[in-house]
Amino acid sequence: MRRLRLVLANDVRRHLKAPLAILIYMAVPLFMTGLIGVIFGPRTEGRELPSIPVLVVDNDKGLASKLLVGAFDADQLKKMFRVTVTDEADGNRRMAGGKASAMVVIPRSFTLDLLEAKPVTLLVVKNPAEQFLPDVVEEFMNTLAVMLSGVVQAFAEEVKGVRAMLDLKVDGFPWEALGPQFGKAQKKVVAASKYLNPLLIRFKTEETKAAGAGASFTRADLFSIILPGMAVMFLLFIVQTLMRDIISEREDGKLRRMMTTPLRPIELIGARIFGGWVMGIAVLLVMVAAGTLVFRVHWGPFGYFLVLGAVASFWTAAFFALLHALVRNRNQAGALSAPIILAFSLFGGSMMNPEAMPKAMLAVGVLTPNRWFIDGAALVREGRFPLASLVVLFASGLVLLALAVPALRRRTSV
Amino acid sequence: MRRLKRILHVAGNDLRIMVGDKVFFFWTLAFPVLFIVLFGLVFRAGDNAPPVAELTVVNLDQGRWGSYFIEKIKAPGLAVTATDKEPAEYSRLLVLPADFSAKIEARRDQALAFKKRSGASTKAAARVETRLYQAIARVLSELVLYGEGDLTKFLDGHPEFRDIVRVESRFPAKTITVVPSGYDHTIPGTTIQFIMMMVIIYGGITVMEDRKKGVLGRMLFSPLSTGDVFQAKLLGRWSMGLLQALMLFAVGKAFFKLDLGSVPLALLVIAVFALAMAALSVFIGSLCTKEDMIIGLAVLLANIFAGLGGCWWPNEIVPPAVRKAAMISPAYWAMDALHKLRFFQGGWGDVLPHLGILLALAIVLAAVAAKSFRVRD
Repeated sequence: MRRLRLVLANDVRRHLKAPLAILIYMAVPLFMTGLIGVIFGPRTEGRELPSIPVLVVDNDKGLASKLLVGAFDADQLKKMFRVTVTDEADGNRRMAGGKASAMVVIPRSFTLDLLEAKPVTLLVVKNPAEQFLPDVVEEFMNTLAVMLSGVVQAFAEEVKGVRAMLDLKVDGFPWEALGPQFGKAQKKVVAASKYLNPLLIRFKTEETKAAGAGASFTRADLFSIILPGMAVMFLLFIVQTLMRDIISEREDGKLRRMMTTPLRPIELIGARIFGGWVMGIAVLLVMVAAGTLVFRVHWGPFGYFLVLGAVASFWTAAFFALLHALVRNRNQAGALSAPIILAFSLFGGSMMNPEAMPKAMLAVGVLTPNRWFIDGAALVREGRFPLASLVVLFASGLVLLALAVPALRRRTSV
Repeated sequence: MRRLKRILHVAGNDLRIMVGDKVFFFWTLAFPVLFIVLFGLVFRAGDNAPPVAELTVVNLDQGRWGSYFIEKIKAPGLAVTATDKEPAEYSRLLVLPADFSAKIEARRDQALAFKKRSGASTKAAARVETRLYQAIARVLSELVLYGEGDLTKFLDGHPEFRDIVRVESRFPAKTITVVPSGYDHTIPGTTIQFIMMMVIIYGGITVMEDRKKGVLGRMLFSPLSTGDVFQAKLLGRWSMGLLQALMLFAVGKAFFKLDLGSVPLALLVIAVFALAMAALSVFIGSLCTKEDMIIGLAVLLANIFAGLGGCWWPNEIVPPAVRKAAMISPAYWAMDALHKLRFFQGGWGDVLPHLGILLALAIVLAAVAAKSFRVRD
C-alpha cells in the first residue's frame, strides 16, 4: 500500500510539473461554454436576435410609402430593425455583398395605386446566406401589408375621391366637395378608433413551463446545462492522457526497470487507475470552481455532484485502463482514444442538445458515459439524487475494472 | 528543378505515410461525414427551422366568432389545432374565452391568453404571433367596413377582407433561386473545422516526432537543406488538408447534392486556407515537445476558430461584438468566401479580399514557422 501511495504521489508530482496540456484541455470546455452562452443565452435587452439590418428602397416617395418607412421608426421596431433608406442600385449592390439581411422595395406609384385600391406588391429581397433574419423581415412586411390592406379597404371610397381630385389643378380643385368625403372618413375613423384604442382583440402573452420545469431561464442556466457536457468530454481526454503512462512506460523501458524493484504489478496497476481516478476528480473540481466563478453555474447540492463526478471519473479511469491493456502501443492508443471520446461526446450529448437529436442517435447515446453524466448532472441541478446514473456508471465501471486488471497484469509482467 | 523534385518527393512521402495510417480516413473522412449527417439532420429538423409552426386553440367560445377567428388564423406554414380544453402538452396555446363572441358583438375589448411553452422554438412562436396579429388586422378591417351595424348579424353577411397589398420575396438577382439545404451550410463548416483540427494535429505531431526521433536530422545527410526540409513538411501538410477537403466535397456532391458555386474558386479558397493551417501546424510541431500538448492546442484553436468563424452556427445570430471578434479567425474568412461563392454565386472579384487576407496570414505563419523550425531538439 505504501508503494502504491509512493507511485501515486510521484505521478501526481510529475503531471503537476508539466501541466500545460491538462490546462489546455481544461480551458477548451470553459471557452466553448462561454462562447455558446454568449451567443445563445437570453439577452439583457430581452430580444432573442441581434438588430436586423434592413435596406428600404422607396421608389414611390409618396405619402403611403413614407408612412410605410415610418413604421420602422416605431419605438419597439427601432430596436428590432436597423433601417437604411437607399436607392435601388445601391441597395442591389449592398445585397449582392451580403451587407443587409433583407431589402424592402416599395414600387413606383405605390401611393396612387393604394388610393385607387389597386393591388400592389412590395418586394422583399432576402440575403441568401442568412437563414433566420430575412424571414423575420418578410413576416413583418406581411403584417404591415395586411394592416395597409385593411386601411385601404376600409377607406376605399374616401381615398378614391381624394385620388380623383389629385389630378386636378389647385385652382380647379373643388375643396367644398371634400366636405362629405371627410365626413364619411371621420365616421370611419371614429368607428375604427373604437376597435383600435384599446385594441378590440389583443394578447396577453405568457411563458409556461411543462410539468416539473424550473423557473425563468437565464444565461447562467444555459451555462449550467452546457458545462457538464463539456466537462465530461474533456474529463475523458484528460484521464486518457494520464492513463497513457501505462503504455509509454512499457515502450520506453521504465516498466522493466520498475519491476526490478519490490513493486508488485498489482500495486503499479492500482496506482495508475487510482491516479487516473483522483486526477479526474481534481480536474472536475477545478472545472466546477471555474464554472461557478466565471459563469455562475448552478450545480445543485455539491455532495451529490461530487459523488457523480467521482463515479464518472472512476468509470473513465477503468475504461482507459482496459483500453490501454488491449492496445499494442502508444500510437494505437492515441489513434483509438480520441475517436472513441469524440463518438461518446457526439452521441452522448456533449456536442449538441439531446432534445434536438434524432431518435436513433439518442438510443446510441445511452451507451455512453457522457449521457449518464449529463442526465445525472441535470437531476443534481434540480436537487435530486442521480441514482440511475450512479448505478449505471458504477456497475459498468466495475465490469471494466474487472476486465482491465487481469489484462493489465498480463501486460505488466516482464 | 532537382531541388523541387526532392521537396516534392519528401512531401509526397509524408502524405503517403499519413494516408497509410489506418485511422487517417476515420479522422479525415468518416468522422467529419458523421458530423455532417448529424448536424445536417438536426439543422433541418431542429428548433431553429420547424417546417410548420404549431398552434393549439382552446375554443371555449359560446358564440360563432370563435370558429370564424380560427379560420382567419389559418395560414400556410401554420398547423392550427382547435380543441375544447387545455391539453397537457403543447408548444403554443391560444385561449378563446366563453364570452369571446359576446365581447366582440358588444364592441368590448378583450385580451386573449397566448401561452408559449418555454423551450419550444422561438422562431415558430414568432411566426405564430405574427399570424395572430395578421388575423386580428383582418377581422378589425372587416369590422370597420361593416360600420355601426348589429354585430350579431355580422357573420350572416359582411364585406370580406381583400389582400390589396401583397408581399413577394426573392433572393438578389444572379444569386441562388432555391433555398439552400442544411447540408449546404454544414458541409463547408465541417470541412473547415476538420481541416484545422486534422492538419494541426497530424501535421504538428509528425513534425515533432520526426524531430525527436532524428528523422529530420538524418534528412540533412541527403542533398536537402533545412529550408528544403521545411518546405517539404509545409507542402506535405498542405496537401493533406487539400486531400481532406477534396474527399469531403466529393462525398457532399455525391450524397448530399452539395453546391459550392464556383468549384475552382472554392478549392482555391480551401487551398489558401489549408496553406495557413499547414504553416500553423509546422509552427506548433516545432514548438511543442509533447503529443498531448499539440492535440490540446489543436482542439482549442480549431474550436475557437470554428466557433467564431461561423462553422457551427450562422453568423447572423451572433451578437455584433462577437461578429467583429470573428474576423481574427481564419475560418471566418474562409467561410465568408465560401458563402459568397455558394449563396451569392460570386466570382473572383468577390473572394479576392478573402484570398488576400488568408494568403497574408499563410505567409506570416509560414515565416514564423520557418524561423522556429528545428531539425534537432
